[in-house]
Amino acid sequence: MTVLTAGRKALDRLLQLILLALMLAITLIVVYSVIMRTSGNAPSWYDEIAAIILCWVTYFGAAYAALKRGHIGFEGLINVMPPPLRIAAVFLGEILVIAFFVLLGWMGMRVLRVLEGDGLVSLPWVPLQLTHSIIPVGATLFILAQLLSLPEYLAQARAGVLGKKDAGEETKEKLE
Amino acid sequence: MIILLLLAILIVLTAINVPIAVGLGIVAVGAILVTQGAQMLPNLALVMYEGATNFPLLAIPLFIFAGAIMNASSISRRLIALCLAAVGFIRGALAIVTVGVNMFYAEISGSAVADVAATGSILIPAMKKRGYPKAFAAAVCSSAATLAIIIPPSIPMIIYGAMANASIVQLFVAGIVPGVAGGFALMAMAYWLARRNGWPVEEFFSWQKLGRAFLDAFWALFLPLIILGSIFGGFVTATEGAGVAVVAAFLIGAFVYRDIQWRELAKAAIEGASHTAVVMLLVASSALVGVYLTEQKVPQQMAEGILSLTSNKYLVLAILNVFFLLLGLFLHSAAAIILVVPVVMPLVTAVGIDPVHFGLIVTINLGIGQQTPPVASVLMVACSIAKANVWEVTKVNLKFIYVLLAVLLIVTYVPEIPMSLVHFFYR
Repeated sequence: MTVLTAGRKALDRLLQLILLALMLAITLIVVYSVIMRTSGNAPSWYDEIAAIILCWVTYFGAAYAALKRGHIGFEGLINVMPPPLRIAAVFLGEILVIAFFVLLGWMGMRVLRVLEGDGLVSLPWVPLQLTHSIIPVGATLFILAQLLSLPEYLAQARAGVLGKKDAGEETKEKLE
Repeated sequence: MIILLLLAILIVLTAINVPIAVGLGIVAVGAILVTQGAQMLPNLALVMYEGATNFPLLAIPLFIFAGAIMNASSISRRLIALCLAAVGFIRGALAIVTVGVNMFYAEISGSAVADVAATGSILIPAMKKRGYPKAFAAAVCSSAATLAIIIPPSIPMIIYGAMANASIVQLFVAGIVPGVAGGFALMAMAYWLARRNGWPVEEFFSWQKLGRAFLDAFWALFLPLIILGSIFGGFVTATEGAGVAVVAAFLIGAFVYRDIQWRELAKAAIEGASHTAVVMLLVASSALVGVYLTEQKVPQQMAEGILSLTSNKYLVLAILNVFFLLLGLFLHSAAAIILVVPVVMPLVTAVGIDPVHFGLIVTINLGIGQQTPPVASVLMVACSIAKANVWEVTKVNLKFIYVLLAVLLIVTYVPEIPMSLVHFFYR
């Protein structure tokens, strides 16, 4: 196993575990609050915490989707470009995506510095630095996922089979 | 002028397969730099955080999760057996069962892609085995899955409600009549095609068999009652109803039927989280562009532009319908709602269209968009299960798409049909 596949597997596994835990947490919090409300004791922190977990699902999940190249886009045009143009287009796209997340992560860090000492409205002991840390963390994970999945994406682009089902096998066939 | 430039950049980015969510972010960075300067860039991180912290949208992962639990247990198999026992004696029974099962399933799941994956993976092979052409099998499964987002609960309606500030529960109620009527219309089309092509009947009708299938599926039929009952009864919000759906599906799968496949379930929960993230990233980055568009008063300007041409409500509805149908060819439904709804809402309210009525129109319209290639998420799933060519399936599917278009036209121009229930219960 190459370092690349090992890295991809490790990140895949890590993100899967995090996402599973977050999904369970969301479900339990919503159900717990509905039950508590029927007895007149709705927890005050419920909406705030649930929405924050959704935000965490968004950025951990976005990195996971990036690893699988599952974000909504339009592959059709790249597939029909002449091969040299395809590679150029892929590289330009990748550079722009990574640049965006570098900027997002960097700005996220600057925001964290400003938030020092602040806490949530409903649970003041939970620092905003913790909740907002998802932006730089998520951006870093997204970049990592994008880089780790780049070689396969590039191979598929080269073969002109981006976004097609069983693209992996088709790429192999075309490359052979 | 700057708007057109930004739009052009977004189109170029999309053409080189930059994810639309990231493309929007890049465009927004450009807009911030040009209009406000680099000192405002930290807003990027703040808005991307706030945009994803959207409480009503919690319903998305929860409804996906509930659907996943159903798929990981025998609930869908039982529903199919029940439908087959009820209509198996009719010509083209399997095709009619496909529509019927989707009508049941739609009351638990809110995603057409999840529906077609769940029902298609059982019914498409079954139809192929009984001699139906594979293009037809894929087409009927694909179109029937559209019911999932018209009949409540519905993920596109939840997204629309959040984007347009419309009542999600009222949207759900508005979907009931068109969804059920559309289901029967699709069944009629399937029956007509079956008669013409001589497709088989499945089994003789027997009350005993129907009774047994009913008992077997009793708890599965109970699920919609729990979910929709708690939402429409006002005990929980639509978002919380999604949490109730997860628990109810889990309890029935794990303790009544006792056949949940845990590994499948964990996998499905992760997939659900990933699908949610794809939509939510788009919501977050469109919030970024939204800040800029609102500052520049773009939605208002667009509304004024169209109003200077016509203020006729029906003409505006026709323009919007054509626009959304074209958009549906190239955009996923969630993306279309997130990008376009906030921009057209001022126009919609200015000509006096009820936001709930419009939400239903958008939902049906984009349901059709999921059937029309090149970008057609639901159709693609059906085709890959059937191993059929997308364009061949589309040729057959056109007949079902006409049915859906007829539903869209009726809903658009006879608002009383979907809205009477809303008025009766809520206004």
